Amino acid sequence: MLKKAALTAISLVMISGGAYADRISGAGASFPAPLYYDWAYDYHKATGNEVNYQSIGSGGGIKQVSARIVDFGASDKPLKPKKLDKKRLYQFPAVIGSIVVVYNLPEVKDMELKLENKDIADIFLGKIKYWDDKAIAEDNPGIKLPHKKITVIHRSDGSGTTFNFSYFLSHVSQDWANQVGVGKALDWPVGIGGKGNEGISNLLKQTPYSIGYVEYAYKRKNNFKAATIQTKSGKWVKPVEENFKAAAKYASWKPQNHFYQILVLQPGESSYPIVAGTFILLPREKTETNKKVVSFFDWAFKNGDESAKRLGYIPLPKETKDMIKDYWKEIGIEPK
Amino acid sequence: MIKRKIINNIVLALSTLSALIGLFFLFWILWTLVSKGLDAMSMKIFIYDTAPPGREESGLRNAIVGQLILVGVASAIGIPLGILAGTYLSEYGKNSKFANFIRDISDIMMSAPSIVIGAFVYAILVAPVGHFNGWAGAVALAIMMVPIVLRTTDDMLNLVPQQLREAAYALGAPKYKVIIQIVYRGAKVGVITGILLSIARIAGETAPLLFTSFNNNFFTTNLNEAMPSLTVTMFNFATSPYEDWINLGWAAAFILGVFVLSVNILGRLIIKKRKVK
Repeated sequence: MLKKAALTAISLVMISGGAYADRISGAGASFPAPLYYDWAYDYHKATGNEVNYQSIGSGGGIKQVSARIVDFGASDKPLKPKKLDKKRLYQFPAVIGSIVVVYNLPEVKDMELKLENKDIADIFLGKIKYWDDKAIAEDNPGIKLPHKKITVIHRSDGSGTTFNFSYFLSHVSQDWANQVGVGKALDWPVGIGGKGNEGISNLLKQTPYSIGYVEYAYKRKNNFKAATIQTKSGKWVKPVEENFKAAAKYASWKPQNHFYQILVLQPGESSYPIVAGTFILLPREKTETNKKVVSFFDWAFKNGDESAKRLGYIPLPKETKDMIKDYWKEIGIEPK
Repeated sequence: MIKRKIINNIVLALSTLSALIGLFFLFWILWTLVSKGLDAMSMKIFIYDTAPPGREESGLRNAIVGQLILVGVASAIGIPLGILAGTYLSEYGKNSKFANFIRDISDIMMSAPSIVIGAFVYAILVAPVGHFNGWAGAVALAIMMVPIVLRTTDDMLNLVPQQLREAAYALGAPKYKVIIQIVYRGAKVGVITGILLSIARIAGETAPLLFTSFNNNFFTTNLNEAMPSLTVTMFNFATSPYEDWINLGWAAAFILGVFVLSVNILGRLIIKKRKVK
């Protein structure tokens, strides 16, 4: 039996020499992973080329592309130009997504719960411990909140979603800024950790009276309930696509600094406050594989807007896409 | 007298109870695996590759083939190494300091956390090569196999009576012939059981593959590329929030379970058959 298995294995290895399609591998952020899976699946059907994307978190993506283990990395935390120079990476955005505060409260409907931005910080700091805390109750007079302990769910891996979320919390709560701060992996005061947006979603489903933060696509796919929160100026804003778009309008990415810009807390009457671009990182010296990678994203920019919208992401505006194409041209990695 | 009887009965009841608790959980696990796994099984699993959540044409073909290749290559590397090393220990090294040192080391290796082996192989076979690849996964599994095969081979060869060897020498057989034709023949059943156990042991490992063979959403038989495996796919799918992926995770668990179970049963059957003869 063993001999046979070994022989089959060897012959299979030999057969596989003949494939001519592009095969590239990428890893990183779980935030855009559902979309990249979709794009890669359709791209394979359309062109025969394989893009193997693995969702390991933005921290892992940055690490693996810096070590030149994968062909491209993906991160929702943009790297500053200085860091890109140091790690010898290129960077461009691929799509825009939104982070929503999701809760598992059987008695409350989707978007019904209103949370002040600073109260979100207090919940994740462990200062607000029960769902019927005065701070929450006074904003939700119409809801009968249960006297249940809040279970906080956060990320356990290095995460760009965490980066953007903690960036938001640091700007709405002085306490958060002082005690926890901003980062991909944090010293969480309370709660349990899940790996990836997938892990948080899984835990949230199983844990009644829990609260967490995920990319909007995960909320949609899992029919989670998301909280109504506040704009930069303190107006209530629902976690719906038109409000995400209102915030995304303020994106002013420029190729000069490798599109570095954080989109959290944009101005505007109806701008949802936690919107984020998600970025692709390329090793500078690998011109040939980079061409293959950008061919994929070029295809996705042309044919992938529908998938993006269906899943709940915001496709990049045409001007940004054009800028990215010019950026590719300038660094000598035009798509094939 | 009565006191002794009472104590005896209490202890007997306790140990029966412990055995029943163990069995209870074993059957519970098997039952969950079978009921959830069978529900998720269909022909689609063997025809289609892993796909994004929500797609119709979604299966595990790439993961199943990847798993077979990884385990096959790991066996091809690990088994000969383990048998040769075990033979050395039993027939040449015997009770020398060096041989005992190797025995100790391999005992330690056997209990080394598999994730550590994964990290080690990442450092020697992934980082220098510049991409995740199937070879690295197979080597990581092979490293786990070697100490198991080595120790069982060593033990089994030791069980072959010294007189048999002496008889063969007396007939004028050289040492290599004695080992191959007398010792191996006598210890065959035990050695094969050890091999099967080592295969069953590594077939269910996820940790050594996580950052060596990594994972691949596409079908591949090329060991130079990242390779999908049932275990890593199961880990990713079972912890995902998507209904269809979770079901595929159960199917992967069921397939793995059946594979490991049948390897184990095969091992038992071989032993039984020999005994009848």
